[in-house]
Amino acid sequence: MTSTSQDPYFIDFPQRIKSIQSEMQNQNINVYLGSRLRTLSWTTDAFCPWRSFIVIPVEGLPTVFSFVIDAARIADDSWLDEDHVMGFAPMGGQDQIEQISDFIKDNLNGGKGRIGIESGMSNYLPEGWLTHYEYEQFKAALSDCELINAHTIVDRLSLIKDEGTINRFKEASRIVDEGHKAVYAAIKNGGWKGMTETEIAGIAALGMRRAGSEWEWSFTGGNEIASGYRTGLAGGACTPASRREIQAGEPLMVDIHAMFKLALGDHSHNYLIAPATDRQWWHAQNFMAIVNKTLETYRAGITPSALAEQMMNFAEEKGFADYMVPGFEHGIGMMGDEWRIGLNDGPFPYWTNPDHAYQENEVIICAMQYACPEDSIGFRYENPIVFHKDHCEALSKYPLEIKEI
Amino acid sequence: MAFQYLSQQWRDEAEKRLKTELPPERMNYVTSSMNNLYKNCPDGKDRFLYFKFEDGNFAEMLVGEGEPPKAEFVISGNYDVFAKITRGEMGAQRALMTMKLKLKGNMVKALKLASLADRLNKVLAGIPTEY
Repeated sequence: MTSTSQDPYFIDFPQRIKSIQSEMQNQNINVYLGSRLRTLSWTTDAFCPWRSFIVIPVEGLPTVFSFVIDAARIADDSWLDEDHVMGFAPMGGQDQIEQISDFIKDNLNGGKGRIGIESGMSNYLPEGWLTHYEYEQFKAALSDCELINAHTIVDRLSLIKDEGTINRFKEASRIVDEGHKAVYAAIKNGGWKGMTETEIAGIAALGMRRAGSEWEWSFTGGNEIASGYRTGLAGGACTPASRREIQAGEPLMVDIHAMFKLALGDHSHNYLIAPATDRQWWHAQNFMAIVNKTLETYRAGITPSALAEQMMNFAEEKGFADYMVPGFEHGIGMMGDEWRIGLNDGPFPYWTNPDHAYQENEVIICAMQYACPEDSIGFRYENPIVFHKDHCEALSKYPLEIKEI
Repeated sequence: MAFQYLSQQWRDEAEKRLKTELPPERMNYVTSSMNNLYKNCPDGKDRFLYFKFEDGNFAEMLVGEGEPPKAEFVISGNYDVFAKITRGEMGAQRALMTMKLKLKGNMVKALKLASLADRLNKVLAGIPTEY
């Protein structure tokens, strides 16, 4: 598939490759061997769900390697032609180690050079770091080469989002809002009666698919729906929908996900199923107050730790700090980039640097989890935000409110 | 009369049969080329067998020693393995899956050509051959 620069969702992928190659030259790297899902999405414009690699030479086009059953589809979806998307299979000369190492050797003078790889750790399971086994196999097959960790090249280049990427995120958020409308239409006026969390997840999925979503992308269970005590699990920021039936007098958390051209919509909305108690409303008001406060505070220049400190002080003043998870964000980028903020330059390797200063046109998920297990109640807020000089722009426009239905 | 495998006479017979038995429509009008690299032939030498099709038409077939022409696909293995495939004693796919043969080239394109390679092998298998 191709798009032109007139397309609001246009991304200059060849320029992204050139930027990587320029940095490779600066670091005297001859070949970049990308294996992370985020790297593949950011460079190919295609979803690569099977184990895949991208080999970027110091000049010219990159070549993608994926499981043979999906390679033709990747070539069709990406900006690369079929000669630059190879399939690997368990056949002589066609397994991923031999195929890729032969390809790399063909790209190197005398089979020698420095190869940038992606090695690290993540809380996000499908990150796609090179495994120990793969590393050992490539090291043996490319015995005249030096393998060096180089993922920071892609991390740094993908940090600030370009216009096409931000527009894709806006569209993904618009689609998520359609999902929330579909859920509300289904559960209002007693429609929730007899419904399970999984059913609500499906209603949201249908609404979003009708609006053009490709996938309920989140590895945390697609659309995360929680009701009753499940909303208030301590620190509980992961609630794949269960078969639990929605009950009167309980909270309901609807955290849904849409994907549009590898950009990710992620917005959580919360309800109280009637009759709501005063205590439940007290929690709800606390939650909305801190969401508003957080959105007012986010802007370029602030850091995760400074933001968290301000918000926790606010919660302490209002008397609900005990119920707040003291984190207010998670990273986001094109599919596969859903974890750390910024670069790997914090005190704990591969965790968010608490002193990372947000820059204009960074995108994160503004995320908050309010949980009171003893009252069996909790709320979640998630919304992609774009950083601007003096404010942040929330991409999901679904109104912030907690309705009693 | 039997032809010596990979001899000039065998090549000529193969060309004649490929031209008559595999018309362009049977070859899906494909344009591609393939080298079979035979290691450890009975005389101890290595040989190549090169095929080229253009728009499904048989274009070229070469048997030789030394550096083969460039081809889109290269399949390499021992003479014995190729001989078993040509005699119909082993499938080419099984030979690849058990690493008795190695394929170099775009696997996605190779998948599209797998049935054509089988047709070609069947024609070659029909040649009375001494190994």
